[in-house]
Amino acid sequence: MDKGELIKTATLAKLKLDEKEVEKLALEVSAMLENFSLMMEADIDGLEPTTQTLQQENRTRSDSPGSSNLSNDLLERVPEREDRFIVIPNVI
Amino acid sequence: MKKYREYVEKWERKIGSFLQFDPEKTKGDSNPDGVLKGIPFGVKDNIALKGFDMTCGSKILENFNCPYTATAVEQLQKAGAVAVGKMNMDEFGMGSSTDNSALAETNNPWDTSRVAGGSSGGSAAAVAAGLVPFALGSDTGGSVRQPASFCGVYGLKPTYGTVSRYGLTAYASSLETIGICGESTAITRNVFNIMRGVDVMDNTTVDYKPSGKDDTQTIAVLKIGDGDLSEEVLNSYKVSIGRIKDLGYIVSEVELPTLKFVVPAYYVIATAEASANLARFNGIRYGLAEKSAETPSDLMQMSRNAGFGDEVKLRILLGTYVLRSGFQDQYYHRAQKIRTAILGDFNRIFEEADALMLPVFPTAAFHHGSSDLTQLQQKAADLYTCSANLAGLPALAVPSTIENGLPVGVQFTAPAFEEERLFRISEKLEEIFPAQKPEGFSKEWKA
Amino acid sequence: MKYQSFVGLEIHIQLISETKVFCSCPNNFGDEPNTNVCPVCMGYPGALPSLNEEAVFKALKVCKALNCHINEKAVFDRKNYFYPDMPKNYQITQFESPFGVDGYFNLELDDGSYKKIRIHDVHLEEDAGKMIHDGYQSRLDYNRAGTPLLEIVTEPDLVAGRDAELFVQQFRQMVRYLEVTDGNMEEGSLRCDANTSINLPGKGLGTKTEVKNLNSSRFVNKALTYEIKRHAKVIDKGGEIVQETRLWDEKTSTSKSMRTKEDSHDYRYFPEPDLPPYRVTAELMKEVLSSMLELPNDRKKRYLEDFKLSPEQAAFITGERKTADWFDSLLKLGADSNQAASWLSGDIQKVLNKEDVSLEESPFKVERIKELFDLINAKKISNNIGKNLLQAMFKEDKDPSVLVKEKGLEQVSDTGAVEKVVDEVLAAHSAVVDAVRAGEEKQVGFLMGQLMKATGGKVNPQMAREIILKKIKLDISGDSQSRDPKIVDKGSEK
Repeated sequence: MDKGELIKTATLAKLKLDEKEVEKLALEVSAMLENFSLMMEADIDGLEPTTQTLQQENRTRSDSPGSSNLSNDLLERVPEREDRFIVIPNVI
Repeated sequence: MKKYREYVEKWERKIGSFLQFDPEKTKGDSNPDGVLKGIPFGVKDNIALKGFDMTCGSKILENFNCPYTATAVEQLQKAGAVAVGKMNMDEFGMGSSTDNSALAETNNPWDTSRVAGGSSGGSAAAVAAGLVPFALGSDTGGSVRQPASFCGVYGLKPTYGTVSRYGLTAYASSLETIGICGESTAITRNVFNIMRGVDVMDNTTVDYKPSGKDDTQTIAVLKIGDGDLSEEVLNSYKVSIGRIKDLGYIVSEVELPTLKFVVPAYYVIATAEASANLARFNGIRYGLAEKSAETPSDLMQMSRNAGFGDEVKLRILLGTYVLRSGFQDQYYHRAQKIRTAILGDFNRIFEEADALMLPVFPTAAFHHGSSDLTQLQQKAADLYTCSANLAGLPALAVPSTIENGLPVGVQFTAPAFEEERLFRISEKLEEIFPAQKPEGFSKEWKA
Repeated sequence: MKYQSFVGLEIHIQLISETKVFCSCPNNFGDEPNTNVCPVCMGYPGALPSLNEEAVFKALKVCKALNCHINEKAVFDRKNYFYPDMPKNYQITQFESPFGVDGYFNLELDDGSYKKIRIHDVHLEEDAGKMIHDGYQSRLDYNRAGTPLLEIVTEPDLVAGRDAELFVQQFRQMVRYLEVTDGNMEEGSLRCDANTSINLPGKGLGTKTEVKNLNSSRFVNKALTYEIKRHAKVIDKGGEIVQETRLWDEKTSTSKSMRTKEDSHDYRYFPEPDLPPYRVTAELMKEVLSSMLELPNDRKKRYLEDFKLSPEQAAFITGERKTADWFDSLLKLGADSNQAASWLSGDIQKVLNKEDVSLEESPFKVERIKELFDLINAKKISNNIGKNLLQAMFKEDKDPSVLVKEKGLEQVSDTGAVEKVVDEVLAAHSAVVDAVRAGEEKQVGFLMGQLMKATGGKVNPQMAREIILKKIKLDISGDSQSRDPKIVDKGSEK
């Protein structure tokens, strides 16, 4: 795993790594990717991917509102807020 | 109550299984009546329990007070059981030792220089020490069964979709279930039957459809290669094979050809799903927020950097990578096909046998630190457990023997919805070879 | 222009429902911030999505209206990217296998011809929260997060700003008809992004740019017209179009490049593990079809062909579904289509505009209007009186027949009585009568007015005019000069 690729991946994951971390993680990721490459030996011809086991299709919920409102509890747990708004530093 | 608290405190100084302990806090949320009336239980700290914090063993959720309760926990409270605390765990379920917890260290009650296993180490340790008769954990790749084996207790991974995941902090959504560490087959069975059920809040829950054939006649036994297991575990395995033969089961030796690919397939899928599941932690709506950030991007990056441990960062990076355009095919899609293959292997075996016996983990509990087993080696050792997660099947870790003072468990797995087969095998074994307890164990909670 | 231009649209509509798409929070606009939120739509640890069946139903309605092929299995996917208004930093959407694909919409162009615009797909997803910028900080409100959103993607079959504008207008009308959305562009329940490219004829598509921030169909037209010109300028100079997203700036009437620091997004789509696939059954489609009605363009055609309404009347009446439904109900009661169309688009609308009330909220029930027509057609009241009655019907919320009785508005049809009053009027205005005889027929109007005043308007105008003229002519016995052929009964007022 080259460092450039690692940093690109880290950016996608919203992780900003320092030099030391990049060094360490590059090695660890490479080791895991090597382990992953073992999969290339598997005979998977003609197999469909399984994204879920044991699904029951067409699971839906009726369009009726719930009875409880946790909004005040949720607002209490917000790190930075102003009245009922959640506040973050400006995008620009 | 006083004697119970003292008992817990005495053990906790040695093992540190609870992140939070308070037997009175949620007593009011439990039915004063019910089948499990008054029975205390622990809840792994990635499962929502109103009134307590839910840290997931991570700094990013340290002091995060949870405003709601997981469906499965509510079921137990309705049946009268009382949740007494939150159990330590590997951060976000990522690990096989509980040493990846950012908040505390948990020791094995049998030997405090060793790990309790992971990621549900706290749950298994507390049950082993008699602090609670059962505790909830989560099993994504073996995280209930392996610590159960390390601590000498029963560990159930239910069939995927039978227990609601609403309230379980997601790590790998298509692989994980809420599981149970229990001191006996009986309590594990009771708790499972109370917890399970279709939940409108979790669209992946399914109707429970057992075949009705609960009694097992034939048990297939996984063939073990040289060097696959440590001496202790191999001995224990052989003893268990002898026992089931003695109990009258027809035993046949089998192989799982796909087994050598399950670890990479498991880690590709688990890390991919985790990378998306953990994206929600960004310091905006709850949890750790880096106050010095000046832009939203910084806020997110800095909070995540400060809040996540090394193992978590590693897995998020891996998961992000294998989903990247250009790489999805060779990693993610390939892994999903291997999933189909392993399910095929299991189905073939279950055509001839009612259950399959296999080891839980290649070693007994290892020492703290990576000298015994590196993080990488720990991952490779997940092969016997993660296969059931890939296939969605139920699996039960059963205490087998004590080797050099350390418990070693053995694992049984069966087709989907056939938990009862597993419980009956376990019961029969328990009758003749009851699980041992560590020194200092007593059932103080019963008082 | 020497280039061929291509335009495709991505339209998002917020679906009408009681609750959000993946949780039971109320789906409302305009409530107090962060009030309609729960662990699910706030992206709490442990929360899971649960699919709203009403959102599925409405999605299928739109798919059917757009003649889509309905996929056997509809699958949800995760679209992964970080943004402060995203509760989970991934959006649950549909990528590989949406509800509907390969549809089309018959777009009516300005010249009355129709053009088939192909629909690439229709898919269901969740909306993000709202972010308001405010100096050094931004404020977030997650009420909108989790609102059911339907995205409709067209193929680049449109050609220019004008037909894109028409598409948005007609599409909006259609989805309002279906009652799946409010389709309000100012409030954001209908949003439109446009993609455009140009190329030498016969060379296929060029490099496209996307334009966002189009808050009305008019801006869609302006922005695309501008953007296509811009593309042409660049290429004429020998340059290359940069594939990018641009924002429409209404103040300067230009599009501006969005300065994004990030590379083009890698969304890393993968199937949503928390939601099983949805297999659309024949039963469900039957329900969907039976809930659908004649769409606006088809209805307009019917009115033009069957009832011979004028294009303006047909367009007005079919503009809103409730108006067209009202019209149809009125006809069902036996009303004449032309009379109904003319009153609806004329005097009834006048009253509604003045009172700022919609047709369905007004006291103008179809039974009452039919009764009004009956009174007029039976000549019990004049057309004029009928028009005035509308205001009274509105204010007093009463049936016309009741009002006619109360106010004594019935026309006098007894010719004898009318003749008597005419005599009085003619006698009082002999100079005018002379003027009429001398050829100033306009003055008949004055005499009519006086007659109306004297009778309180309760005379059938046609009859009144006949009698006046008869009497005037009668007084000129044998005088050929006064038999001015110009004094001809010009017919009654309508």
